[in-house]
Amino acid sequence: MSSFVVPFAIVFVIAVLFFIYSCYRRFRLVALGKFDNRFKAFGKRLWNMIFYAFMQRRVVSRPFGVNHFVLFWCFLILLIANTEFFLNGLFPEYISFSLLADPAYFTLAFIFDIVSILALISVLIAFGRRFLFPPSYIEAKSPDALVILSLVGVLMIAFFGMHASDIALAGENAWYMPVSNALAHSVFAGGSSQGLTVSAGIFWWIHALVLLAFLNYLPYSKHMHILTAIPNCFFKSLTRVNTQPREEFDKGNVYGVERVDQFSWKALFDSYSCTECGRCSDVCPATNSEKHLNPRLVIHDIKINLLENGPKLAGKGGNGDTCLPLIGGEGEGSVDVQAIWDCTTCGACMEVCPVFIEHVPKIVEMRRNLVEMKAKFPEELLTFFENIEQRSNPWGIAPPERTKWASEIDVQPFEAGKTEYLFYVGCAGAFDARNRRVTLAVTKILDAAGVSWGILGKDELCCGDSLRRLGNEYVFDRMVQANKQMFEEKGVKKVITLCPHCYSTLKNDYRQYGVELEVVHHTEFINELIEQGKLPLGKVSLGNVIFHDSCYLGRYNQLYEQPRQALRTVAGDIKEMEHNHANSFCCGAGGGRMWLEESIGKRIFVMRTAEALKEEASAICVCCPYCMTMFEDGLKDRNADESVQVLDLAEIVAMALDKQD
Amino acid sequence: MADEKKIKKPRGKAQLIEGKCIACGARCETSCPKDAITMNDKGEPIIDVEKCIGCRKCIKVCPADAIEIVFTPEEQKILDELAAKEGKAAPEPEEELSEEEARILAKIKEYKGVWVYVEHTEGEPADVSWELLGVGAELAKERGVELCTVVLGQDVEHLCKKSFAYGARKVYSIDDPLLHYYRTEPYYKAICHLVEKYKPEIMLIGATGLGRDLAGAIATELKTGLTADCTGLAIDERGYLLQTRPAFGGNIMATILTERTRPQMASVRPHVMPMPEKDESRSGEIIRETVPVKEEDIATKVLEIIMDSRSDEYVDVAAADVIISGGRGMCNPENYSILQELADELGGVVGCSRAAVEAGWMPVERQVGQTGKTVRPKIYIACGISGAIQHLVGMQDSDVIIAINRDKSAPIFEVATFGIVGDLFQIVPALTSYIKELKAVKASKA
Repeated sequence: MSSFVVPFAIVFVIAVLFFIYSCYRRFRLVALGKFDNRFKAFGKRLWNMIFYAFMQRRVVSRPFGVNHFVLFWCFLILLIANTEFFLNGLFPEYISFSLLADPAYFTLAFIFDIVSILALISVLIAFGRRFLFPPSYIEAKSPDALVILSLVGVLMIAFFGMHASDIALAGENAWYMPVSNALAHSVFAGGSSQGLTVSAGIFWWIHALVLLAFLNYLPYSKHMHILTAIPNCFFKSLTRVNTQPREEFDKGNVYGVERVDQFSWKALFDSYSCTECGRCSDVCPATNSEKHLNPRLVIHDIKINLLENGPKLAGKGGNGDTCLPLIGGEGEGSVDVQAIWDCTTCGACMEVCPVFIEHVPKIVEMRRNLVEMKAKFPEELLTFFENIEQRSNPWGIAPPERTKWASEIDVQPFEAGKTEYLFYVGCAGAFDARNRRVTLAVTKILDAAGVSWGILGKDELCCGDSLRRLGNEYVFDRMVQANKQMFEEKGVKKVITLCPHCYSTLKNDYRQYGVELEVVHHTEFINELIEQGKLPLGKVSLGNVIFHDSCYLGRYNQLYEQPRQALRTVAGDIKEMEHNHANSFCCGAGGGRMWLEESIGKRIFVMRTAEALKEEASAICVCCPYCMTMFEDGLKDRNADESVQVLDLAEIVAMALDKQD
Repeated sequence: MADEKKIKKPRGKAQLIEGKCIACGARCETSCPKDAITMNDKGEPIIDVEKCIGCRKCIKVCPADAIEIVFTPEEQKILDELAAKEGKAAPEPEEELSEEEARILAKIKEYKGVWVYVEHTEGEPADVSWELLGVGAELAKERGVELCTVVLGQDVEHLCKKSFAYGARKVYSIDDPLLHYYRTEPYYKAICHLVEKYKPEIMLIGATGLGRDLAGAIATELKTGLTADCTGLAIDERGYLLQTRPAFGGNIMATILTERTRPQMASVRPHVMPMPEKDESRSGEIIRETVPVKEEDIATKVLEIIMDSRSDEYVDVAAADVIISGGRGMCNPENYSILQELADELGGVVGCSRAAVEAGWMPVERQVGQTGKTVRPKIYIACGISGAIQHLVGMQDSDVIIAINRDKSAPIFEVATFGIVGDLFQIVPALTSYIKELKAVKASKA
């Protein structure tokens, strides 16, 4: 084998240098992105990396992920074997596991042999899945995937060919390598020593060349995730991604993102980490309803755009001219404008992504650019933006009408010291006839439990949730300042919100502006009141009750069980839809979609309603005014509005108050 | 005596009376000749006493009597002495007009007459022009000036005649091939030319697509004020035009004055003002002028007129006076024919809610609501529309709302002037036939 050393050393050095060069070319582009501090809390990050990357926590949440888990660990273990393989090729006399003491060598050889056969089986299963049971949400037969699988397969076959030839040549019984040994005594048995020497050499070279080819193929394929996914888990957001970064208003700034280098470096790294597993597409309500948006392709387009424009932006004297527009260009590498508006910001994509790519902030940042720099947005939003800006509610209704819902009950204004909680009613709860009934139900419960609460009345302003998700930071910023001033002046500390959108916005988004409030959603609060035994409740019978998770409660703020628990207390057993908890399916109104027409593809609210009807629901329990509107419309659309009712949790609990003995 | 006269009578300083300001929109700030007033965040004035000359302009303009004049003790002493000398209370100091004020007033007095622009397309006049002659006649009478029209175009002699028939006394006309088609540049230049030469005090233009374009260009060129979409026009005690229009989505009415410039320009939407009586026997004077621009100086050329390619079925709901809208309660697209019959009888059009568009029953341009058209018809009849908030905000400003719905708790009844709880498939045909009957009775009487 010593005759291989020189040619191998040459090939090896060239291949490694080329690999390093490729990596440099790719990764220097990441440095184009804006600064984002993802280094704090090293320990926590290390744990995230171990838990999510090495233990593959999210990958194995779907059955086929187990196969990936096996392949991933095989890969890690064989990394040791392959390091030895290269070093041995370069320095055959000095470096070899066979130089170790027998027990150690036998153990390692055994492990590598078993792991190699596992890897081969894994590859075959992956092939089988792609050809026999292709999932609908990925391009199952993409050349990229097949090339890599073939390379890994060939590598394993070469591994066995090489070892079996050696074993047969030595004529020994290498029991410590069961698979290779079996091959040596079957396929390779009876080979001439010359033939076996040649076959060992050929397999060795195949193994060496395929391994180097694999290495060099990585940076140019979706399998770059082998290099990036683990650090991406390390750099993952330490909190849930339930807000978007604050826009810095300064002279000369470009707002939002219109060119790829205006993203943060982490956003660019995200695009390199995408494995194209397609889970985000599988759960996306927009993709499922045949809209233009496919979250996977958004990330892919960002990557292609970076690779295309990055070198020009990174080059010296680069004046920032880019040929391929990030938004609204033709084909790959450019994000479709309609796709940007299709997003409901439900966060389902981020919930399933095994490598923690943050899709929603990227989409919102591109929206910001369209709104703030180009004033290009769907026509319907013009009225919406105007209404919010002028009258602080989406419909442009006169602010004094904010208290109309309370015309028949006694309501106290919020006064620090006199009232403990501010009940932040929100626009839908104050103006929308159907949701005003929910507002009344909440007040009834609060009073029954003796909670001290007050409202801001006509002074209440919109929280600005839709503005932020729609990318209008200009007005959102002003709304936050106005609200912040009012909260400070009135001494507001504790807030109960009716709407999950107000809840998440006040709780998570306002924090960026230094507003620290104790915010609770009414469902969470009601559950607490029930737990404390403050509500004298009877039982209500509503038949088959189905619970629908609001995205901004569930995925955004992890409130899955609190509303369910309250519901169970008063309405008994509840049924779940096919999509529930973290996997819940959006009603279609989030992310400002409430104010936009849905004219492409299927309608999301009808799909979700159909899912509820499939479970033969007689009542649908919601926690959000948007979901309320969407389900009401969905039931009317399906002609089921007379047989099925939509109720907010508060309404159901209020009914139970009436039923008390 | 000469020495005594030298003692200047103190004029005092303006001061805000706490709690009385209604944040009217900075009238005091605008009125101050010395820029001594700035507005705070709440819209209340901050008066710079160093700059204040005690002219009392802000006091006069304040609608809430929120500003008073205060004297320092020394000033008060001088005042008292003066009063004692004269043996009576010190008279209010005469308002001294600054030189600039006087110049403006003098200039304003040069402008006389009420003008109405006669809009037409290829010689076909827009009715709003005649409506404006109705209100223009009242304004002219009040001011004791002439009511005139401006007629621009090619072969527009008949429009001059019609102007007289609808009450104009004088027509300023430019008849020239260059003005055959409406183009902003020659039209606004022609009108500015006429205005500079004949100096009208008031100029009214219909708030149509063309009118909005033209009025803005004229006002910009002449550096004068323009109030769009007025719903009321009147003359105040000084003889100024009070231009009233809804503000903040119709919740308050704003009355706007053009105090320092002329002409006072206002645009008014069609159907807002009543049509005056027509009298073909009237005649008047036609003043003919020539175009002040040359064809080669105009950047815009009309190459081709492409008529609206919208299908015959296209209906502009926003422009209709009567709208019969159907929602999900219509059950299927065929049922809209009963709404169409009622609309035909009332001279209205059929609109719909979002649900009807989503169900594919009606075209999207008929949709009324937040994401559709915002309408303000005289009569809005909502049939089988529950009244989701997104629909209500698009029609709640209608003059009369009639709601027909089976569900008596439907939110549509909250905004309805008249509500009918019942089956629309019985009520709508009954309404139609009753209106037919009424019409027949009226016809037989006539």
